[in-house]
Amino acid sequence: MRSLTLAMGAAGLLLWPWAAPRYFVFLASLIVVNAIVAIGLNLLSGYTNQLSFGHAGFLAVGAYTAAIVATRAPGAPVVVALLAAALVTALVGLLLGVPCLRLEGLYLAMATLAFGFVVVEAILNLDGLTRGNDGLRVPAARLGPWALATDGARYYLVLVVGAAMVWAALNLVRTRTGRALLAIRESEVAAQASGIHVARYKTLAFVISALYTGVAGGLFAFVVGFLSPDAFDVFLSVDFIAMIILGGLGSVPGSMAGAAVLTVLNDSLAGFQNYRPLVFGAILIASMLFMPGGIASAARRLRAPLAGHPRVAPGSRPGPE
Amino acid sequence: MRSRWRLPLLALVVLVAAPARAEQGVTDTEILLGGSNSFSGPLAFSGEQATKFGVDLYFKAVNDRGGIHGRKVRTTYYDDGYKPQEAVANTRKLVEQDGVFAIIAPQGTPPVVATLEYLESNTVPLLFPFQGSPITRGRKWVFSGMTLYDRQSRMMIDYLVGRRKVRTFAALYQDDEYGKAFLTAFEKDLRRHGLTLVAAESVKRGTTDVSAQMAKLHAAKPEVLFLVLTPGPGAQALRERQKIDWTEVIMVSSGPLTDERYLSLAGSAAEGVEGLSLWPDPLTSDRPGVKQYREHMQTYFPGNQPNRYSLSGYFAAMLFTEGATRAGKRLTREGLVAALEGIRRFESGILPPVTIGPDHETQRQGFWVRVERGRFEPLTDWLSAE
Amino acid sequence: MTTAALVHVVVSGLATGSIYALMALSLVIVYNATRTLNFAQGEMLMVSTFAGWTVYAHVKLPLVVVMLIAVAAAALLGWLIERVIIRHAIAATHFDLLIITLGLSLVLRAAAGLAWTHDEFPFPSFFGTRPIALGPVRLAPVSLGIVGASLTLMLGLWALFTRTRLGRAMRAVAQNQRAARLVGISVERVYAASWVLASVVGAIAGVLIAPVIFLSSQMGFVTINGFIAAVLGGFGSMPGAVVGGMLLGVIENLAPLYLPSSIKHSVPFLMLIAILLIRPAGVLGRVTRPKV
Repeated sequence: MRSLTLAMGAAGLLLWPWAAPRYFVFLASLIVVNAIVAIGLNLLSGYTNQLSFGHAGFLAVGAYTAAIVATRAPGAPVVVALLAAALVTALVGLLLGVPCLRLEGLYLAMATLAFGFVVVEAILNLDGLTRGNDGLRVPAARLGPWALATDGARYYLVLVVGAAMVWAALNLVRTRTGRALLAIRESEVAAQASGIHVARYKTLAFVISALYTGVAGGLFAFVVGFLSPDAFDVFLSVDFIAMIILGGLGSVPGSMAGAAVLTVLNDSLAGFQNYRPLVFGAILIASMLFMPGGIASAARRLRAPLAGHPRVAPGSRPGPE
Repeated sequence: MRSRWRLPLLALVVLVAAPARAEQGVTDTEILLGGSNSFSGPLAFSGEQATKFGVDLYFKAVNDRGGIHGRKVRTTYYDDGYKPQEAVANTRKLVEQDGVFAIIAPQGTPPVVATLEYLESNTVPLLFPFQGSPITRGRKWVFSGMTLYDRQSRMMIDYLVGRRKVRTFAALYQDDEYGKAFLTAFEKDLRRHGLTLVAAESVKRGTTDVSAQMAKLHAAKPEVLFLVLTPGPGAQALRERQKIDWTEVIMVSSGPLTDERYLSLAGSAAEGVEGLSLWPDPLTSDRPGVKQYREHMQTYFPGNQPNRYSLSGYFAAMLFTEGATRAGKRLTREGLVAALEGIRRFESGILPPVTIGPDHETQRQGFWVRVERGRFEPLTDWLSAE
Repeated sequence: MTTAALVHVVVSGLATGSIYALMALSLVIVYNATRTLNFAQGEMLMVSTFAGWTVYAHVKLPLVVVMLIAVAAAALLGWLIERVIIRHAIAATHFDLLIITLGLSLVLRAAAGLAWTHDEFPFPSFFGTRPIALGPVRLAPVSLGIVGASLTLMLGLWALFTRTRLGRAMRAVAQNQRAARLVGISVERVYAASWVLASVVGAIAGVLIAPVIFLSSQMGFVTINGFIAAVLGGFGSMPGAVVGGMLLGVIENLAPLYLPSSIKHSVPFLMLIAILLIRPAGVLGRVTRPKV
């Protein structure tokens, strides 16, 4: 039954560009991009309890890297651009992650917030590379002889990369590394005592999280087609946090659900004009009041309604202290 | 599972089977226009005023008179909160889902520029965006909606160097594409006269204090200080000048800044400020078009104060109406572009006669004003930069 | 740059810095009680200031009365939010609360836009803008007034926290909620009191800063500087919040004087990162051992 649902879901995703109007193909690509960011952020925040307010900065680094590679090396395949985005962003993640090891909770949140601002300032100042305020037009992604210039082609690119990233994340959380990260979240002291090299794993989480967001940034560049520093402000970082908390901390499917719900919601509310933030905010408040722990823990409760589980789901535990 | 697919499939069949109609967004009874604009974020006020109280104000009047060749004009707007990626999504939704005929009066350089290429490749006219970056100039499907920044700069420098014999200039500008575009243009135009800016300082959006910047500019002792800011920081700069008792300087505001809001925020600190005004005073001008605008505002939105943002949107709708009327009963996008290009000496009653050439600039003028007893008093007739 | 100009710039920085300090204090008060960052602090401040201004726009009351109305509105708003929303989020985690306050900030900002438009409005000031000349130095009364008023309020807060039962209860809850409950402190009442107090301090900051940055639905964003100030000083520490605010205000003003324009706007953030690297718990914060 479960595998049948999965197969039908996969078939639906594959057939989507034939069934849906162009705009919804584009929207689906955006959902996948956001889902990759949400998974990356969740690996950091949900698994090691490090809340980041700077993921828009990582997204920007990835997006600009991919766009610059695609512009400077016009024939380069999209794989190269995305790899470059992944590596550069992971490196930035390492450079930020090591000093941030000493920081916790709010201090980490502030350091990452500052990082986001510094990235935007850097984009503005490196205008030889990034074209600063004027914004950077992104050429179509190329795959060998083909230019991925249609919504369908871009969707498949995003879908394939996204599927690989989801698969990797699901496996990662089941490995030794994943268990180590969870142990760190429960208690750093206890994890250290049981022989887990806490510093190494926390840095690793930072790097992996940055890498995910960098890849998403590369895809974002090709899907949206135009980059400017205004796109990557702190509110975008906050949107990503909302996605993982609404979806469920420490849950890969939860991240995907949170990203999908908030992206669709944001899009469908655009027509509300000045009422948009009002409705959006009210929905955020209501969902956290009536669905504490997010979609993932709500789903868990639905699945086991009689078991009398404690209210505290694995994905939710006291936050920044 | 099946039912999930029925609707999109049905839509697809309808789309494919639909007969080739005259033009997207135009039916026998209606013309559909739309735009992505700021209804939240830093430019929410101007966005709402320009669209709902500007563009829509004129179209209400047009529709009540029977529309354009019998077609009523309907508009749809989406909020992008000044975010480029959301402007792209909104514009695509307008074109692909709502099927608009053209995009009207979107706002802000980053959101507008982000949609340029998409609109051009889909041959959708982008009409009168409320932004001044020269990047929109000379594009087939784009008609600019504000005197472009490089023209404003030329008018300002030529007037100040030529008629007022000023030699030393400094600038306080916003650290974004609006400020930077003006700065580049100032430097270029000053070079033509063999001059340079003696100092330039930038201000971040949402700043709380401009005293450091003003202290540095004061130390450079310019005769003229250009303000390329938004109303809040602009008024802060005027107040700061008052605080440090810096009297021997002429403060000159850029076209987008020269408006009544900035005056009311600065209060007594605004006396003697000069600037390039792109629009006649929406509250007091007795030009026939402005009077009609105020009457329409009184009729349709009696609670809303007249201002330059709604006036600019009103003018944009007026220009569209003129173009669409000239394009004739069979309205197409190609036809509209040709009709707009053919406009010669059109009397709007708001701005001087409008002539649109192949560069698609709908406005290329402004006039000089000085603040006296809390109001902008004109010092010159219409200036222009050709 | 003359020394006189420098003095003016520093005093001006102290004025904005003391507002940042007030904002930092209001964030810390809520944080100490509920262990959550209140994203809506800036919007609560904005709505209270608008409430005072609305009355002023209709009946020209003395400014002191306007401030009292803003304070009353703030107290009501803080109490309502705690009572209607926050208290019902008992099952929610701190992360959930973060999203609730984020939602609140969006709702309040949009509601303010609907009620008062997104326009900017001039706000009356207690203090004149005509400079006072002290030799070659020009000092703006508004800067001195803001510093003075903020310091007075800070002293009042200090007295509240050290001299009153409520203040001591709040400090006890901040240190250890379970222990506080055991000694008979009503933690729920402390929660409510914290929200009301934070809201009131915010409203006073709002009334003081509105004449400078003007009144608008967007003015709440200035609170981000309060966050930075609080972290600079060591989050949770009240003297730290004051020092952090002043430091931030002054450095923000000095940076454009001496640094190339390419990095001057990043200075507050670079400084924040630097301080966190050197002293991870802020200037006056204490490093706490993680509990098992």
